[in-house]
Amino acid sequence: MAQGYSVFIGLVVVVALCIASWFLSPKGENQVLWRSSLILSVVSCYLMWAITFLAQLHPLIEPRKALTEEFWKH
Amino acid sequence: MAPRQDSPFRSADMSMVQLYVSNEIGREVVTALGELGLCQFRDLNEDVSAFQRTFTQEIRRLDNVERQLRYFYTQMEKAGISLRKLDLDVERLSTPSTSEIDELSERSQKLEQRISALNDSYETLKKREGDLTEWRWVLREAGSFFDRAHGNVEEIRASTDDDDAPLLSDVEHNHSAPDAERSFSGMNIGFVAGVINRDRIGAFERILWRTLRGNLYMNQSEIPEPLIDPTNNEAINKNVFVIFAHGREILAKIRKISESMGADVYNVDENSDLRRDQINEVNNRLQDVQNVLRNTQATLEAELNQISQSLSAWMVLVTKEKAVYNTLNLFSYDRARRTLIAEGWCPTNDLPLIRSTLQDVTNRAGLSVPSIINEIRTNKKPPTYLKTNKFTEGFQTIVNAYGTATYQEVNPAMPVIVTFPFLFAVMFGDFGHAVIMLAAALAMIYWERSLKKVTFELFAMIFYGRYIALVMAVFSIFTGLIYNDVFSKSMTVFPSAWEFKKPDGFKDGTTVTATLNDHGYRYPFGLDWAWHGTDNDLLFSNSYKMKMSIILGWAHMTYSLCFSYINARHFKKPIDIWGNFIPGMIFFQSIFGYLVICIIYKWSVDWQAKGAEPPGLLNMLIYMFLQPGFIDKPLYPGQSAVQKALLLLAVIQVPILLFLKPYYLRWEHNRARGKGYRGIGETAHVSALDGDDETRPNGNSLDESDGVAMISQNIDEEHEEFEFSEVMIHQVIHTIEFCLNCVSHTASYLRLWALSLAHQQLSVVLWNMTLGNALATTGPLGVIMIVICFYMWFFLTIAILVCMEGTSAMLHSLRLAWVESFSKFAEFNGWPFQPFSFKSMLEESEDLTEYLAPERGCDLNCSLHDRPDSIGKHLVAAFHLEILQPHRSHQLVHRDLDSRHGDADLLDLAVGTVADRDAAHDQVGCHEMRDLLVGLFDFLASVVAVGLGVAHLGELLDGAEGALEGPFD
Repeated sequence: MAQGYSVFIGLVVVVALCIASWFLSPKGENQVLWRSSLILSVVSCYLMWAITFLAQLHPLIEPRKALTEEFWKH
Repeated sequence: MAPRQDSPFRSADMSMVQLYVSNEIGREVVTALGELGLCQFRDLNEDVSAFQRTFTQEIRRLDNVERQLRYFYTQMEKAGISLRKLDLDVERLSTPSTSEIDELSERSQKLEQRISALNDSYETLKKREGDLTEWRWVLREAGSFFDRAHGNVEEIRASTDDDDAPLLSDVEHNHSAPDAERSFSGMNIGFVAGVINRDRIGAFERILWRTLRGNLYMNQSEIPEPLIDPTNNEAINKNVFVIFAHGREILAKIRKISESMGADVYNVDENSDLRRDQINEVNNRLQDVQNVLRNTQATLEAELNQISQSLSAWMVLVTKEKAVYNTLNLFSYDRARRTLIAEGWCPTNDLPLIRSTLQDVTNRAGLSVPSIINEIRTNKKPPTYLKTNKFTEGFQTIVNAYGTATYQEVNPAMPVIVTFPFLFAVMFGDFGHAVIMLAAALAMIYWERSLKKVTFELFAMIFYGRYIALVMAVFSIFTGLIYNDVFSKSMTVFPSAWEFKKPDGFKDGTTVTATLNDHGYRYPFGLDWAWHGTDNDLLFSNSYKMKMSIILGWAHMTYSLCFSYINARHFKKPIDIWGNFIPGMIFFQSIFGYLVICIIYKWSVDWQAKGAEPPGLLNMLIYMFLQPGFIDKPLYPGQSAVQKALLLLAVIQVPILLFLKPYYLRWEHNRARGKGYRGIGETAHVSALDGDDETRPNGNSLDESDGVAMISQNIDEEHEEFEFSEVMIHQVIHTIEFCLNCVSHTASYLRLWALSLAHQQLSVVLWNMTLGNALATTGPLGVIMIVICFYMWFFLTIAILVCMEGTSAMLHSLRLAWVESFSKFAEFNGWPFQPFSFKSMLEESEDLTEYLAPERGCDLNCSLHDRPDSIGKHLVAAFHLEILQPHRSHQLVHRDLDSRHGDADLLDLAVGTVADRDAAHDQVGCHEMRDLLVGLFDFLASVVAVGLGVAHLGELLDGAEGALEGPFD
């Protein structure tokens, strides 16, 4: 769960989604619009998720904060 | 070739068509085409002045009718009768026949006469009434004065004529009261009575005093109620005056003076009986006049009421009819003047529809002569016709605000539908704010029908962009989840990958560093909430967001660049692929594609496990140019060779970009020359009329061939003489621009980072200053504070964070679309298709706005040029305001450079070289301060931009008026 290889799992999911949106787009004048918009959204969202995930994969700095005794109570 | 199906991907195929229509049904055909709204007619009589055109007479007549209708409208306004507005959504007006129009014109003629007659008599009567009222007042006031004065006659006499006082006094004494009234004339004293404007009374008195040297006695009193001036319906306060003087001449003089001062002199009898009769008479007459007045008014109102029911419909009919004749004026005739010839642009796919419409009209008229529609070949550039529906309309408008795409090139609005809202969301990312925005957008879409009627400009603008707002909100929800920000707080959906372990000897306030779990678990979706509220979360998020900006920018630009390939292939210009697209792509990828790969590679390497020092990527990129081959800290083995190769590859592309296309074009041109082809300098026979052909002798336009208006057309305007120097210069500019833009545009995407940082910091500050404080307070004070602070926080969130930050992010996203993306592929050399359509004409007409129920939004498939894109204009203006703050984007770069020069380069910081880490810690406070300032600056800039936008609204509207001019004005 949520290991480094998740990026590739995500990629597979996204490719599947793209293929699905290519074939499931409603026919007609606006088919090209459906295809382009769906695929573009899926890819952009994946890109953003993957970037965020990768940026935290091997962090070079650790979170650091001043804590009070209260913090340990729960 | 079967015509391609129209799609939003490209503008529709257009055909130049010629229509041959029998003269008798010209008007009906144009009306039918106007209802259809698919033809843009060309002016075939450019050399004919407006007065000499065929249907000028009809237009004049309609102008007159229009004037009469306007006259009715002003009369109705005067009478306070409201107009029944026409709602074109609900009602459809059937096409009127010529006789109906004639009837309308006759009827309005008659009505005008009647109404003006009624008006005249009304005004005369009103004047009479005013006069009578004044007279009545004079009689009343002067009468009371006389009554008072008579009591004192004797004393007056006694004081003036002492000598013969006893004699006359006796006489008078014996007389009864009525005779005493004669005493004034006996004393040779006359008087003038009248009414004068209260403002003038002072001047009046002074003048009288001076001219008569004080030989007068003046009495005056104010009329308590204001009198109405019938000419302009204003209330005027007036005074009644009575002037006594000695001698006929003086009285005449007084009369003259009072007349010249604008006073009305009335006849008043000295005798009280006569006066009473007078008063009675005046009262009777006044009553009569008032009766007649009431009747007249009632008739007028009834008449106007009746008109008000159908005035808007008439107005629409007349406007349509005028437009039809204006269009007919664009047409040409055959020799026998039996057939009308029209030329225009139509969407190729709609030709069958136009054809069947023509057929219908011809059949209905029962004509044996068929109407012919003929597609003709031309080398003219067709107009760009991009069909929209209510979803794409808004997106298309923001693209059209930048320019009209070239005919058949990839419609830039296609990618914008996703990229624009997505890049907006990257800057706006906050789940809470996005939900507010989504609610607003959904509400606007749900109550679409009723909200359509709202005419308030600012709201109409937002409403127009409701689908854009919807997509923006949906993406913002996603980015908000990725950033893990909900009103600046974070959500703990998944367990964190970090753990804070209690160190030995823990005291309150000790700084604790979290440790990563060791089984490889990472936070699965978005930013780990462990970063929230830490001392160094900005260090982390800055590095992350900056790198993300670069990657997203790279992806956006690469994607846009690919469209230039599609365009080149569509226009069958392989040289654009080999000379522009491929070298450009290689250049871009070998520098920035490489950078992106390095960023991702660096993320995927576990530097701590490897025990190596992570390199700074910015330094790496800079050394790659300044000292090729020098590697500061290695990222991977063989890096030096790869970088040298890539640099070489990029450098080689520059001469290819520079020279391949111009030299290829020259070679092609020379080869064509060598084969004996010549440039098409002469005129060619193309069945398109063209007014700018100056070589054509006048008047031969009709006798060239077949009695059809076939006119030779000069086509060398399209095929310009090949000039190598021009092509070369153009290519040099393109190359320089492209190479420099690769760098500057990539840097420009850093605005994604800057704005999302500003947004996030601003919402943190807002929380801490309002609700954060309140929640920390306990007791009853805390309760009150929470209530107050909540409202403050909520409204400020909506006003500043949603509205203002939203506007700001939208403008920046717009810039990324217009500049960074469009410059990669779109030419914007087209001209818009503006068909002759009643629907768009009525919507755009400013004159008709008061007659029509407001209508907003468009139905499916209506042309995007149907309506004024004032929204676009506003956007352009707002955009220029943003652009006009160059210090802003410079500041971004500067900050970038500044931070590089200081040892706290954000990229490097995030990399967190151990040596730098302590120094970085000292810088954190400074960073926060700076980020706060950036946030504030961003906010101020937005305020200024919005303020200026509002201030320039008037100007913008004027500008929009220019765009309103119809195609046949």
